[in-house]
Amino acid sequence: MLNHIWLALIVIGILTAAGRDIHDAVQNSYGNGIPWRSYSVELDSVATAGSVLSVSLRVPAEEIDAHFPGVEASEALFTSRIMMQSSREGSAALRIDASSPERFRTMAKALGNEDEIMARIRRLDDGWELRFENVSLVYLKSVTNAAFEIAGTAVSIAIGLIGIMAMWLGVMRVAEQAGLITRLAGLVRPLTRRIFPDVPQDHPAIGSMIMNISANMLGLGNAATPFGLKAMEELNKLNSKSGVATDAMVTFLALNTSCVTLIPATAIAVRAAAGSADPAIIIGTSFLASLTATICAVVLSKLLSRVRMFRWDRSEAT
Amino acid sequence: MMETLRTIVSILSVLAVPAFMLFFLVYGAFRKVKVYEVAVEGAKEGFQIAVRIIPYLVLMLVSIAIFRASGAMDVFIAMFSPITDALGIPGESLPMAIMRPLSGSGSLGVMAEIMKTHGPDSMVGILVSTLYGSTETTFYVLAVYFGSVGIRNTRHALPTGLLADFIAFIAAVVFVTLLMGG
Repeated sequence: MLNHIWLALIVIGILTAAGRDIHDAVQNSYGNGIPWRSYSVELDSVATAGSVLSVSLRVPAEEIDAHFPGVEASEALFTSRIMMQSSREGSAALRIDASSPERFRTMAKALGNEDEIMARIRRLDDGWELRFENVSLVYLKSVTNAAFEIAGTAVSIAIGLIGIMAMWLGVMRVAEQAGLITRLAGLVRPLTRRIFPDVPQDHPAIGSMIMNISANMLGLGNAATPFGLKAMEELNKLNSKSGVATDAMVTFLALNTSCVTLIPATAIAVRAAAGSADPAIIIGTSFLASLTATICAVVLSKLLSRVRMFRWDRSEAT
Repeated sequence: MMETLRTIVSILSVLAVPAFMLFFLVYGAFRKVKVYEVAVEGAKEGFQIAVRIIPYLVLMLVSIAIFRASGAMDVFIAMFSPITDALGIPGESLPMAIMRPLSGSGSLGVMAEIMKTHGPDSMVGILVSTLYGSTETTFYVLAVYFGSVGIRNTRHALPTGLLADFIAFIAAVVFVTLLMGG
């Protein structure tokens, strides 16, 4: 299942990107090869050979309409750095920011610098002519960049885990040796016996899983991951087929991805930052939604384990 | 009543980490555990586990990044929107429902974007933040947790996780509609 979905994400991604790029090329969505007409009163008066200026360039709506088919056009202003080689010709760097029209932002990104678009500039009888470099294969380029970028990010995420893992696993080992984890596990035994019937109830896996779930409930994602990974390691000691997920592992994972949340800390913080009158209002709804999902997840994990293609006795060790 | 609950919750979220630590270590010391020596022993494991995850995480995140960068999300949203419209679910929340299991940072961005456009206290704003708060990034958890113990055949884990995400979405819509009064 995971094999298919993993492959599907890549294939759908690359084919969609290629399709969109072909569409853009056919439609000439970026107005490649068609010069732009822009206006700047400041530039009209001060442009001389060798001058370096900062001016505002105005691109009227009908120009945008002519270059970007299918875009709702309105006039655009660009703060620009101009370097004149003669009194008639030079180069311009148009500043692009969040307020620039979207198509221009995409163009900037595709041309390699998302804050600026470079152009050749030439004086006309009325206004100034701009010529940009041609823009093509926007989506395929961004797919390639995203893949390279995330490969590096993934390693940083894993490396970043080392410190936090070391800290919590150290604390946890102390609690384990003191017998605290076993005692905690004893408290919720009626529940864990039903959810994880094939894990011996005095096994260290139970203690780690309880720690992971409590941390998750409190919104302590940083602490939850180390406890969860420790739990997986313990569960794997009970695994007779290396490389294959046991029923207990899948149920534990289901508990984790849909975990009951008492304090959705990140969502509350984002709400507060967005100027909400009552950021914590989602505590109730999050709790109920996650409780529903968690109960369903546990039941589903039990039901799906009996589906033919997922059955334990049909899965081979690797 | 709601106010006190909220105060308790916010105090609890700050106290949890220090309280956990203090309790564990002091309890250990009382039980005559050589706390520092034992903690160092436990901490050593952290390194190996984190390094073991790398190949799984890289491949999983690359596939999701390709999907996201291609703009294929828009196609999916267009595909699903007739269904959600028919069920009376606000269509603006659909990007969130699709993004949430795939990418943590991506869905954080979608949530912030929706709140900026519609306001955090609008129906859609409350719905997407409920959704963000009540589920996890399924693909990430899958890669990290199974990766840490070298599990390649994940059996029914992904369908279970995705179905649970779908149920969480529906439950969020239902509870937000009920509690916030439509």
